[in-house]
Amino acid sequence: MISLSTYLLTIIVTSMIMNLALALYGIFFKPHLTKKIIALTILGDTANTFAIIVGYRRWISPHSPSRPPVLVDYANINQEDLVNFVNTAVDPLPQALVLTAIVIGLAVTLFLVFLALQIYRLYGTLDVREIKRLRG
Amino acid sequence: MDLVNIAHDLTGLTVPVLALFAFTLPLLAKLFGEKRFPAIYALIAMIFAAISSTIIFIGSRINDNPIFYKFGGWPPPLGIVYEVDGFNATLALFTAWIMLLISIYSIWYGRHLDEPEWYYILLIGLNAGMLGCLYTGDVFNLFVMLEVLGISAYALVAYHKNKHEALEASMKYAIIGATATTIYFIGLVVIYSVYGSLNMADLAVKNYYLYQAQRSGVTLFSQMITAIGASSLLAISLALWVFTYKSALFPNHFWLPDAHPEAPTPVSAALSGLVVNIGVYATVRFLYTIFGPLSPLELYYREIVLIVILILGFLGGLVGALLMIAQKDIKRLLAYSTVSHIGLIYMAASIGFVTNKPEAVILGLTAMIYHIINHGLGKALLFMASGVFIDAAGTRNMDEMRGVGRLYPITSLAFIIGFLSMMGLIPFAGFFSKLLMYQAFIEAGLLLPALAIIVISAISVLGYAKAMYAIVFSSMNKKYEKIPLKGINYMLLLMAIALIALGVLYPFIKDTLYGIVLQYLTPNRIMYYRFLMR
Repeated sequence: MISLSTYLLTIIVTSMIMNLALALYGIFFKPHLTKKIIALTILGDTANTFAIIVGYRRWISPHSPSRPPVLVDYANINQEDLVNFVNTAVDPLPQALVLTAIVIGLAVTLFLVFLALQIYRLYGTLDVREIKRLRG
Repeated sequence: MDLVNIAHDLTGLTVPVLALFAFTLPLLAKLFGEKRFPAIYALIAMIFAAISSTIIFIGSRINDNPIFYKFGGWPPPLGIVYEVDGFNATLALFTAWIMLLISIYSIWYGRHLDEPEWYYILLIGLNAGMLGCLYTGDVFNLFVMLEVLGISAYALVAYHKNKHEALEASMKYAIIGATATTIYFIGLVVIYSVYGSLNMADLAVKNYYLYQAQRSGVTLFSQMITAIGASSLLAISLALWVFTYKSALFPNHFWLPDAHPEAPTPVSAALSGLVVNIGVYATVRFLYTIFGPLSPLELYYREIVLIVILILGFLGGLVGALLMIAQKDIKRLLAYSTVSHIGLIYMAASIGFVTNKPEAVILGLTAMIYHIINHGLGKALLFMASGVFIDAAGTRNMDEMRGVGRLYPITSLAFIIGFLSMMGLIPFAGFFSKLLMYQAFIEAGLLLPALAIIVISAISVLGYAKAMYAIVFSSMNKKYEKIPLKGINYMLLLMAIALIALGVLYPFIKDTLYGIVLQYLTPNRIMYYRFLMR
């Protein structure tokens, strides 16, 4: 008999892997450039979700990481509080990484969208099967 | 001692200052309104980068320890550090000076650039991205810098935004490049969740301790270390895709022969001579410094990864050399030559699986650095020289460029020297790096890869000979335009002389590079990091 938390974790991990596979499928096999770009953003979001989940370290429960990593009352803190804090605080670093990755993803997506727009202006289509002027 | 301090400060300053140069350019260009302002401004930025990388190189050579620059003063495992040792200082020195030459060439090329301010922003951004990738000591910062480098490169390929082929090539390059970089981010998350750190030196030290624990037979950790080995294999295989993609290793080379011909010529020179090296550098950093011979990866899978790289390098070398023969477009021919040479470089870089003969590994890595420099310089020279001929003939098709080189004797001389070095003829640089690779494989007792290097070189001679014959030696069959060179031919001649010098000074250069590899890419460097992490 599996517990509820294991069940939920399995669902999340499975859906992330499915997302990853679908995004890669979309990038490689969808002929439409807009769909490729959408698939790329899905891939980026999946990677970001993965990073955030790693930051939680364990499945959420009252005794495992689920609190913001902020020490409010640090003036009169004792050892027990500190141990409690370390056990329940979420790792902030992956969130910082995700913030950076989102900004970079925005830049890349914007560039790709402008490129696709320019391609549409020149070729009159966004179907990669018709954008074939190169030989190799 | 003073120079060491300046080098330390410049390590942190170079990349941000270059970014500042890039982003202030459009505003200042508007204020001054002078047509030539962006070119001169970019030239100043490139000169700054070149001088700064030289000082950093000298600083890292004076001092025995690597230079550590802590951003914001955060101690190493916590904050971002820039870490410069002999290996990346050498590559950065080379990169920054070639970028300076490319920037000078861009001034000559300027009449093709209708909006120079955007071009120069991207060129400075490319330089900042490359130097950032080389100097950084943090795997996440490497991701950021790869994206800086990537976006600049994608946009530079699409610079002629009204040419159909340029946009298509850029889209092909960008969409898979962005995917590969995102996959690298997933690899980073795996690394972070396993090691709890993103600092390269810290990861190397942790790997060293885990390796020692496994070796000394602490059975308590044995299963855990097996799991860590497997997860680092996962992270490495996710990370290697973007590195091999950036450096166009077979089968990730498909973007390169399209992107190079369509980009402006100075950009082709930068992409082919410099950007591809970044991927090789990152691969070597990962497989020799972070997951080096003393890491849990070594216990199980490092050998497999390196042998896969060897095979892919061989295939890339062969495919590049074979496809080069069939090309009519001069820039496309040079692009396939890059694929071939990158294959050779990766073959030399993969030698680390021969663990019982450390001498062979050191020789192989020396050959790799030497060949990166020779190939980068030679390829930048060839692209720039072919840019002159393309302008004169008004086409890239070699059949319609017959004998055009006869109008430009000095450029032709440089062009031929570049090709001879690529082929690997005796007094030129290319011969000695190939010889060194050959020696390394013989030393390792691997006859087949050693023979493969000779076979690849022999096949590629056909392609080079075709280009040389068509452009310089055959007789002219039509009138060509005589374009003003404005002294750019002397710069090309200077690069050709540098190629000869790199060959003639072989014993000296080999000793220097050998020393650098011995000091920084062998397992004994872990000691430095343990000292620094304290």
